[in-house]
Amino acid sequence: MDRITETPRKVAIICSKAGLDEAYPALILANAARQSGIDAFVFFTFWGLDVVTEKKVDHLHVNIAGNPASGMPTIVGGLPGMEALAAHMMKKQMMDLELPSVREMLQILDESGAQLYGCELAMKMFKRTQEDLVPQVKEVITAGDFYDLAVGAQIIFT
Amino acid sequence: MTTTTTDLAPLLARLDAMSAELSYIAERQRRQEELFEELAPIARAAVATAIERLDQLEQKGYFAFGKELLGVGQRIVEGFSPTDVHQLGDAVVSILDTVRTLTQPEVLAIASDASHAMQDADAVKPLGIFGMVRATKNDDVQKGMALMVEVLRRVGHGANALATRHQLATDRKAKLAELLGPRRDRKLLGIERPRLTAGSPPAPRTPANPAAACGPGMPAAPGAVIDGIAYTVDGHLVDAAAWSPELGRAIAQLQSVELADHHWVIIEAARAEFAATGASPNIKRLTQVASVSTKDLYTLFPKAPARTIAKIAGLPKPAGCL
Repeated sequence: MDRITETPRKVAIICSKAGLDEAYPALILANAARQSGIDAFVFFTFWGLDVVTEKKVDHLHVNIAGNPASGMPTIVGGLPGMEALAAHMMKKQMMDLELPSVREMLQILDESGAQLYGCELAMKMFKRTQEDLVPQVKEVITAGDFYDLAVGAQIIFT
Repeated sequence: MTTTTTDLAPLLARLDAMSAELSYIAERQRRQEELFEELAPIARAAVATAIERLDQLEQKGYFAFGKELLGVGQRIVEGFSPTDVHQLGDAVVSILDTVRTLTQPEVLAIASDASHAMQDADAVKPLGIFGMVRATKNDDVQKGMALMVEVLRRVGHGANALATRHQLATDRKAKLAELLGPRRDRKLLGIERPRLTAGSPPAPRTPANPAAACGPGMPAAPGAVIDGIAYTVDGHLVDAAAWSPELGRAIAQLQSVELADHHWVIIEAARAEFAATGASPNIKRLTQVASVSTKDLYTLFPKAPARTIAKIAGLPKPAGCL
């Protein structure tokens, strides 16, 4: 009768970028996995580390320069202030859709049992310690640890 | 003796006559020699002058020029077909008109001035985007920009007219093809898609399993009927009205959930929400209507809370990403 919960499933999502348009898909996929009874963990590496960095998480932007889908010429998207404006507009649209903020999404993920990890190498590169990260990040691990965790999981790279 | 004298007389007379002729010949001979003597220097001079003139022409490059001109003529003949030349003849009036306009003194003065700028090209400094903006303050630059825009406008107008003409021609072609019907190869005109098999139209696409396509607005096909109650393939009740608390308990047991009071509060809240809105509540909505935290939901219903709650409460599968 219930074919979805028959086999235990697991996804490992690698979030390597911190644009709003790059962070949300990773977080929503992880959340949808948990909602569907799939184990989920998210590995934040490189710029993706900004998504779980306390000082940056509320100020993520959306990249419009060099993005043909933004509908804006790159030369306009590159002007000072355009990125902030686009991020503001996108955040407003998300609020209208009652989409949780990135910080709320992290909170929801944590409560739903998804596991969040930071990348050790990226932490060193950006000179951050675990204190700089949001409390939802369970641990800072290496790429090798990530593979150990991802045994049997489907891996998604965003 | 007398015979000798009488014989001599005519002989002498003939000799006399001959001497007259001889002197005439001698005279002619002398004149011819004189003529040659006089002509020779003249002829020599004439030939020398001719050679000199030809040499001068050669030095001025007339011959090389002529040779090249012949080559140009040959190239023109090779490069243009008779049709081209015919069309050229048609267009010659407008060509001459254009040339006349271009060679007006005012136009030439502007062109000459502009070409002076080209000659001083090495003295001109490179210009950035802000330099360009600054330069537009200059009246002359503004005028030049306006002129360029006007030229662009006219070129664009011409291009549009050309496009319209082409469009008309294409339309006419399509119309003609329509009139002519199957005799024309419609495939080439892009009017009709090629069929997979000639004669029979392609069968309409139907999904292999209609129940698999359960998008919004599509009625869920019953996956199974157990004890007279229909379930979808996902294990949700097809009709929420067929639900009873006993059935909820039975489904919960299948989902490995042991129902306690907390569970029932949430299930009742979910049913009330569905009755009010006609939609199964998602996790966010459940936290609001049942006043529980996300964490509590996952603790009470560990596997896929919103879905499990919807199943136990006899509601359809919740829609949406969150």
